[in-house]
Amino acid sequence: MSSITEYRSGGMGWRWAGRIFLVFLLGFTIMPMAWMLITSLKTGFAAMQYPPQWWPTEPTLDNYWRLLDPSGSVGQDFLRYFWNSMWVSVVTTVLAVAVAVPAAYAFSRFRFPGRTFLFFAVLLRNMFPAVVFLVPLFILMRVLGLVNTHGSLILTYLTFGLPLAIWLLKGFYDNIPIQLEQAARIDGATRFQAFFLIVMPLSTPGIIATSIYSFIGAWNEYIYAYTFLTRHDQMTLPVGIQRFFSENATDWPGLMAATFLMSIPVVVLFLVLQRYFVRALTEGAVKH
Amino acid sequence: MTDFDRHAGVGRPVARQVFRFTVAVGLAASLMSGTVFAQSVDLSQWSPEYVKSIAGSTTYDTAKDCGAVVPNDYAGRVSYWYTGPFEADPEISHRQDAAFWEAFKVAYPNIQTDVQSITYNELLDKFRTALLGNAAPMVVRLQILGGVEFAAKGYLNPLKPEDVGYSSADFWPGALKSVTYEGVGYGIPTNNETMALIWNAKIFADAGLDPESPPATWDDLVIYSKTIHDKLGIAGYGLVAKQNAGNTPFRFMPQLWAYGGGALDEAAPTPGYKEVWINNEGSKAALQAAVDMYVRDKSVPVSALTNTQAENQGPFIAGELAMVIAHPSEYARMNDLASKATGADKEKADAVVANMRYGLMPTGPDGKRAVVFGGSNIHMVKSDFVEGGQVDEQAVKALICMWTSPEWSVKLNWASSNPGHLGGFRTEWMKERLEQTRFLDITTSMLPNGIPFPVIPEAPEIMNIIIPDMLQNALTETMTVDQAVEDAAMKVQAIIDGSGGI
Repeated sequence: MSSITEYRSGGMGWRWAGRIFLVFLLGFTIMPMAWMLITSLKTGFAAMQYPPQWWPTEPTLDNYWRLLDPSGSVGQDFLRYFWNSMWVSVVTTVLAVAVAVPAAYAFSRFRFPGRTFLFFAVLLRNMFPAVVFLVPLFILMRVLGLVNTHGSLILTYLTFGLPLAIWLLKGFYDNIPIQLEQAARIDGATRFQAFFLIVMPLSTPGIIATSIYSFIGAWNEYIYAYTFLTRHDQMTLPVGIQRFFSENATDWPGLMAATFLMSIPVVVLFLVLQRYFVRALTEGAVKH
Repeated sequence: MTDFDRHAGVGRPVARQVFRFTVAVGLAASLMSGTVFAQSVDLSQWSPEYVKSIAGSTTYDTAKDCGAVVPNDYAGRVSYWYTGPFEADPEISHRQDAAFWEAFKVAYPNIQTDVQSITYNELLDKFRTALLGNAAPMVVRLQILGGVEFAAKGYLNPLKPEDVGYSSADFWPGALKSVTYEGVGYGIPTNNETMALIWNAKIFADAGLDPESPPATWDDLVIYSKTIHDKLGIAGYGLVAKQNAGNTPFRFMPQLWAYGGGALDEAAPTPGYKEVWINNEGSKAALQAAVDMYVRDKSVPVSALTNTQAENQGPFIAGELAMVIAHPSEYARMNDLASKATGADKEKADAVVANMRYGLMPTGPDGKRAVVFGGSNIHMVKSDFVEGGQVDEQAVKALICMWTSPEWSVKLNWASSNPGHLGGFRTEWMKERLEQTRFLDITTSMLPNGIPFPVIPEAPEIMNIIIPDMLQNALTETMTVDQAVEDAAMKVQAIIDGSGGI
C-alpha cells in the first residue's frame, strides 16, 4: 500500500513538474506574441521607454486604424500588401495541391522505371539554401518577363513547396489500404473514380495539412519576394512591412500592429482546420 | 532670432565652443577645398553665423532653371529608385517628398515617372540584383559611398554637376570626391550631413557635470561616461559596435580620426588610399578608449556589441543613456514623437526634448575634430543595365536637375540632412529650417570637419566589416588592442592588395 502511495506521490511530482514545464513553454511561446500586441497599442514614444511599459499608460488603436484606413497612404499600401500576399499564397497553395495530389498518388501506387530516383530527385531543390537560387532565378524571371509580377513568386514557391507536398501526401496514400481501391474497381469504378471517390476523401487530412504548409510557406516567404519585387503595388506583406524601418529609426508600434494583422490569417487557418491538421500529423503513426 | 539664439541661455558654453571652432574651420575648409572654392557660398567663412547670414539671400526659380537644361515641354520617361520617407520618418519629410513629385509634374508634365522608394537597408542589395538582371532603374540615389562600387564595376554613366546645369563649385569638394572614381565623376551629391554629439542635460546635472557643456575631447568623454555611470548607475556613452553595420564606423571613425588614426589614409589632406593606418598609434589610442569604456569602466551599454543607434534611442529617451552620436534628424524625430505622445507620456516626451543638447564632436588629444562626411549621391545607370535597355538621358537630366537644385536639395532633406547644392544654404527655405530646427546650425557647422570614407570599392567591406570586427575582438577581449589593430591591418592590406576580401 505504502509503495503505491509512494508511487502515486512520485507520479504527482512528475506530473506537476510536467505542468510547470508546459506553463514555461507556453509562456515562452506566448510572450513574444503578447509583447507584439502590447507594443502595437503604444505610441511611438511609449514604445521607446526604458524600462518598458508592460502595459501602455495611454493605450491607443491608432496604429491599427492607420493600417486599416484605406483613405490613408499607409492603409492603402498595407491593404494592398495584404491582398497581394493572400493572392500569391492562395494560388500557390491551390496549384501545389493540384499538382502534388496526382504526383504523390503516382509515386505511391505505380511502379515505373526510375521511380525511386525521381522520388528523391524532387527533393533535390530543397537540399540547397534558397539564396543559392536567388540570382539564377532572378535572371530566369527577367528573361521570362516575370520580374515584378506575382507569377515569379508563385512559380518559385511551387519549386520548393511542391516536393514537400508530394512527400507528405505520398505518406498518406501509402497508409490507405490498396484493397479499398481494388474493391471499388471490382464494383465497376475506373481508376480515376476509385482515386477521386475513395482515396481523395480518405486523404483529406493530408491534403489539408499540405495546404497549410504551402500556404504558410508562401505567406511568410521573404527573400524571393524581396528580390523579385521592387514595385510597391506588387509587394507582399513580409517585404512591405520593411517600410517601418528607416535609416535612423524604426516605427515599432506600427511594425508590431502590421505583424499582428499579418499573423491573423495563419491563426484563423489553424483554428478552422486544426482537427484535420492533428489527424494528419497522427495518421502515419499507426501502420495499417 | 533663431531658435538656437532663444536657447542661448542654455547654450553659451556651446556657443563659445562654436566660436573657437570657427577659427579652426576656416583653416580646415581651405585645406579641404584645395584649389576649388565654391561659388555659391564662401567655404572659407563657414561658421554657424555665416550659415545664418546667407540664408534667405537668394531666390531660385527651379522649374525655369532646369528648363534651360532640359526644355520643360520635353516628353519622355524616367525610372528612379531612392530611399524616400517611410513610417518612422517625420511628417515633414513625407510632405516635402510629395511636394517634389507634384512640382516635377508641373515643371515637366510630359515626362512619365516610374518611382520606387526602397528602404535604406534594402536599396543596395536590390540594386545589385537588378543590375545583374538588367532590370535597374535609369536613376538611383545611393548613400554616399554606394556609388563607388557600381562605378568601379562599370554600371554607371559618367555624370557631373555641369551635365545638369550646375557648377562643380556648387558642391562640397568632399562630396564630389565621394562620387569620383579614377578621376571621373559618376554622380552628383544630393545632400550632405555630419553628425554631432547629443547629450541629456538633466543627466549631466544629476551627475554633477556642467549640463550645458559637452566633453571637449574624447578623453573627456571617457571620463564623463565613467562619472555618469558611477554616480547614477546608467550608461554614459552610447557606444555602437555591431558587426556588419554602417552605424558602427559612422560613430567610431570620428574617434579614430580624432586620435590621428584611420582605416587607410582617408584623414590625410591628400589621401591616396594605399597606406594602412589602422594599426598606427592614433588608431590604437582610439580603440583603447573604447575598451576602457566597455571593459574597464563598464560605462557604456552592455549591449553595445549588438547595438546600432536605433537601439540607443530608447534608453536615451528614457533618460537611461546620457550621450549619443546622432544625425541632425534626431531632434526632429524626438519632436515628432513628442507631438504624437498623449497623456502622461506627453509630459515626459516634452521633458526629453527640452533636455536634449547638441554639441560639436569631441576632439582628439591634439585638438583634431573629425566626423564622417555623410550624405547621398544621385547616379545615372548605363543603358545596358536598365529595364528596357535604353536610358532617356534628357528625362534623366531633368529629374536630376530638379532633385539636386538649391530649392529641392533643401526641401527634400528638411529634417535629416543638408543641401548637397551649396546654393541651398542661400535659400529662404534654409532660413526657415534654421528657425524651425533647433541645433541645426551646430550640425551644419561640422560639415567642414567631415571626412569621407575611402573612395574605393572596398570601402564598405573595410568600414562595415573589418572595423566592427576589430572593435568586437578588442571589446570581447578575444584579442588585445595591439592584436586587434594588427589583425585589422592585415585584413585591410590584403583587401587593397587584391588578395583578401569576403
